[in-house]
Amino acid sequence: MITAPLSGCVEAVPQDMIEAVENIDRDLMELRAAEFSPQDYTQFAHQWMALKTRVQADEDLIRWPWEPNDLEIALRRLQEKGSHTVARLTRERDLLRRSAEDRIARVENRSRIMSLQVSAIDSRLVLGQKPVETDLLVKQARAFYEQGRYDRSLDASDRATQNLAMQASVLTSELGRYANRDRISRWQQMVKDTVTWSRIHRTSAIVISKADRVLTLYRNGQKVLSYPVRLGFNGYREKRYQGDGATPEGRYGISRKRGQGQTQFYRALVLDYPNEDDRQRYQIARKTGQIPASIGIGGQIEIHGGENEMMAQTLGCIMLDNPQMALLYNRVGKGTPVTIVGALHEHNSVALTLAALDDRREET
Amino acid sequence: MDKRLAMMSVTCALVFTACAKSPTEQIEAAEKSLKEAHASGASTYVPEEYAKTEGILAALKKEEADQEGKFALIRDYGKVEQLAVAAKNDAERLKTEATKKKEEAKASALQAQQVAQDAVKATLELVAKAPTGKDRAALEAIRADVEALKASLNQVQMAMDTSDYPTAQTKAKAIHEKSHAVSLEIEAALSKIGKGKLSAAKKK
Repeated sequence: MITAPLSGCVEAVPQDMIEAVENIDRDLMELRAAEFSPQDYTQFAHQWMALKTRVQADEDLIRWPWEPNDLEIALRRLQEKGSHTVARLTRERDLLRRSAEDRIARVENRSRIMSLQVSAIDSRLVLGQKPVETDLLVKQARAFYEQGRYDRSLDASDRATQNLAMQASVLTSELGRYANRDRISRWQQMVKDTVTWSRIHRTSAIVISKADRVLTLYRNGQKVLSYPVRLGFNGYREKRYQGDGATPEGRYGISRKRGQGQTQFYRALVLDYPNEDDRQRYQIARKTGQIPASIGIGGQIEIHGGENEMMAQTLGCIMLDNPQMALLYNRVGKGTPVTIVGALHEHNSVALTLAALDDRREET
Repeated sequence: MDKRLAMMSVTCALVFTACAKSPTEQIEAAEKSLKEAHASGASTYVPEEYAKTEGILAALKKEEADQEGKFALIRDYGKVEQLAVAAKNDAERLKTEATKKKEEAKASALQAQQVAQDAVKATLELVAKAPTGKDRAALEAIRADVEALKASLNQVQMAMDTSDYPTAQTKAKAIHEKSHAVSLEIEAALSKIGKGKLSAAKKK
């Protein structure tokens, strides 16, 4: 009598409904939703716990099939909402992953190109610690990406990109004069004056272009020979003080010739650095605190041969291969003017590199 | 008259003693435990479980409010009490788990930091051996690199100090890799040119 009506009764909440919500919870955990989108996950978890509490309370209840079941409706809604959240977060996470991957690839590529460009103009030292800082950030971005922490990866990539932009700014600020028309005009004028002097006085004069890394000997205003040279380890910079590794720019003269046995560098032509302009610049820099008061202006800038073939840079001098040094040594004398300029034309290697860096900066 | 008064007194006494009270102490204990779990880093190290426990506490509050809204005689705080106990137990467990995971993360970061420090130290020793006067620019560049690595070790310490162990670990790992690369560069240079003599120190 009693059994017949009871067989028409149903469970308060179907078990498969609960399992479906549990699966959504698992999916959200796999997506690291609590970390990636805490608001979404907290909302889901709160609703799920509230409903779970009700499920446990209703476990012993039996309903008639025609009775409305609010709990089942609420669970179904949570399941639907949860499914949408899983789908949305999957899309967003994938987008973030691709974005992080793309950003790393771009910053790695830009870093590599910058490194090559900086090497090409021997300006690694101008950048100080920045290249390593960038490198570390790129490595961090890669590590975070591999851990699935895409937001942190993006943050590290962005900081690396900013660091690269700062490097480009430092280079522009330090070497911008190579792209400055007025400065190049002044250099061109200095060279013209030197060549004219050579013609008028029917004697030799030396012109050195740092950007081209070329030494040219003029005789009676005519180009006699051109040799490639190596510069200081900070050669493209304008010399400011002792030990900066920079090669000076200006009008100088040969103050002394050092023959065999008088120099460790095969043969040497000592220049009368510093000149009046150098002294003025140095005093201003000292007064304005740009260089420490204890550091001197430097000296003993020479055009010399090589101590050995491995020597790629000097401490600020101009270095030639020994056979070429021998030829030059024999063609000049004490008092021969030596004009050292940054560049002879606007499209010099440094200016072109700076322009390329600017283009890259705009791209990113 | 006296009899009626006595009857009313008994009824009132029965009514009031039968009124259920919210398990305030248990609720407060659960809340305190959850706060402690949060302070232990549960929201960072076991975020899903932490959100769920917060959810239980929210359900508990709702149930309590529902009961408060009922007529005093039919209030039942049994469910509230049950949830408070469950929330407290969960929070205690989370506290332990978060502390354990945090310690693990810290240990890994510390280990990576030590490895990075050792690598930078070894690189510094190599730099000291590198010949001067041969390729000054390369040597100066390497010195700048090693100085940057040394400075970055401070950043690892700063991340450790703020308990940002993932950042500390990835940074330390990056320093180790870079330091290793710089060491290889110096070793290659050393094997290529040998230990050169110092160039004469001159004004330049």
